This record gives sequence, C-alpha cells and structure tokens, in this order.
Amino acid sequence: MMLGTVQSGFGYWNVYAWIVFFALAAVLVFYFRSAGRSDYKVGTYQDEIFYGGNPVPKDGDEIAVPASSAYWGFTEALSPFYKLLLSLHTGIASDYVGYLVVTTALISALIVL
Amino acid sequence: MLKMDLAKTLEILPRSIWVFLCNSGSCNGCDIEVVATLTPRYDIERFGMKLVGSPRHADALLVTGPVTKYMTERLKHIYDQMPDPKVVIVVGNCGCSGDVFYKSYSLDGPVDQVLPVDVYVHGCPPRPEAIIEGVAKAVLKLEALRESLDSKEADVADVAQS
Repeated sequence: MMLGTVQSGFGYWNVYAWIVFFALAAVLVFYFRSAGRSDYKVGTYQDEIFYGGNPVPKDGDEIAVPASSAYWGFTEALSPFYKLLLSLHTGIASDYVGYLVVTTALISALIVL
Repeated sequence: MLKMDLAKTLEILPRSIWVFLCNSGSCNGCDIEVVATLTPRYDIERFGMKLVGSPRHADALLVTGPVTKYMTERLKHIYDQMPDPKVVIVVGNCGCSGDVFYKSYSLDGPVDQVLPVDVYVHGCPPRPEAIIEGVAKAVLKLEALRESLDSKEADVADVAQS
C-alpha cells in the first residue's frame, strides 16, 4: 500500500500523521497571513519594499556585496604568493611534467644524501 | 468587575501604537531619549508602543532633528510608505523649529515644512515623560483619524449599495 506506515530501512514514519501536520501548518500560515494589514494602497509607495527611504534598485547587482569582500584583506596580503602560483600554472603539460621531474629529483637527492 | 476594567482599558487604548523612528539630521540626543522611554525605568511598551523596523508596519512616524537636504526626499518616501491612518510626531526643538540651526545652509527647514506634523514635543532633548505625553496625544489623534476613515468607508459602502 502506498499510504500508511512507510519502512525506510532506518525506521518508519506515518504518512497520515505528516499529512495532518502539513494541513495544520497550512491552516496556521493562512491564518497569520490573513491577520496582517490589508489596507495598503496597491500601486503606491505603500506597496513598495522598504529600502531605507531610498528607491529600490532594479538591478540586484547594484546592491550585491560579493562574499569575497569578507576576506579581501587576506587575499590582498597574500597577492604576491598568488601571483607566483598563477605564473607557475601555465597550462602546458610539459611544464607540469618538468615540475614533477625536478621535485622528484630534489626529494630523491634529499633521501640519498 | 474585570469586564468593566477591560472595557475602560480598551476605550483608552483600543489599539497599540507602533512607531517608526527616523533621524532626519539629529545630533542623536533625542534618539537617546527615545530609547530611554523604552528602558524599564519609563517602560513605554506597557502602553503598547514599540519601535518597528519598517514604516510599512508603523502607525506613527517619529522624527528627530531638523531635515537636512539629503534627508528630505527620503523622509517623504518613508512617510509615503506608511499605511493610513498615520500620524507624525516630532521630537526635539530642532525638528519643531530648527532651533539654533534654523538658518543653516544644509537644511530644508523644520519637519513641518516637509511633512504634515501632528504632535510637537519640545525640548533639547525632551525628557522621556514629555515623549510619552506626545505619544499619548498621537494615540488620540490616530484614533480620531481611524474613526473618520471608518465612517468614510461606511459612507462609500452605503452609496455603493444604494
């Protein structure tokens, strides 16, 4: 049977209980929604998003602050190191094979010596 | 007995007043006094008044300070965003009259030259008791506005029915 108690392999849950729960939650949501103010004049400023008294920007990018701003100082302080790493990443396979050979030779020399 | 007290309370304060605070160029002195009215010493929340974060939830706009040129349009915008009925309370001498900054180059004047003001609370800064009195007057004015709006709506409904 589709409905009823469902065995999940890790336990069970009752479908009817969840349907009743969602119905109750929906009733509550609609009740709170209907209890809000409905006397706004549609199409005026009363119907507009509050943006600190400023006009609401149409383009979201105007107000977006990228997450990278949070660690701008960190990346700025380490920028010489990042530049070096970027210059090493040429995208040419022979360069990478060269780094592998040189690194292997250095480590081998350290082990032997 | 309980019913009578409840009726009396509801008659005095049928609905609580929610206030949006806007500093239109104040030195922050008035804002500190407004915050003092919310502290346990004065506890204006026992009358139902509270500050809200959006003018769309507010019944009253409380303005502190004279209106600087930068704030004029923003203040009008905030006022326009409040649902009807609404009242404007001005707290402090600067907002009421401009006070010592009256002739300043950077001002568009006291608040009543930008918005229709309902209640003036004088003082530099006014004491919390004065602000509470101003809010009480605003509640009375708001109730009168609410009743007139309701009667207008009833008239419109009657006309539509007939």
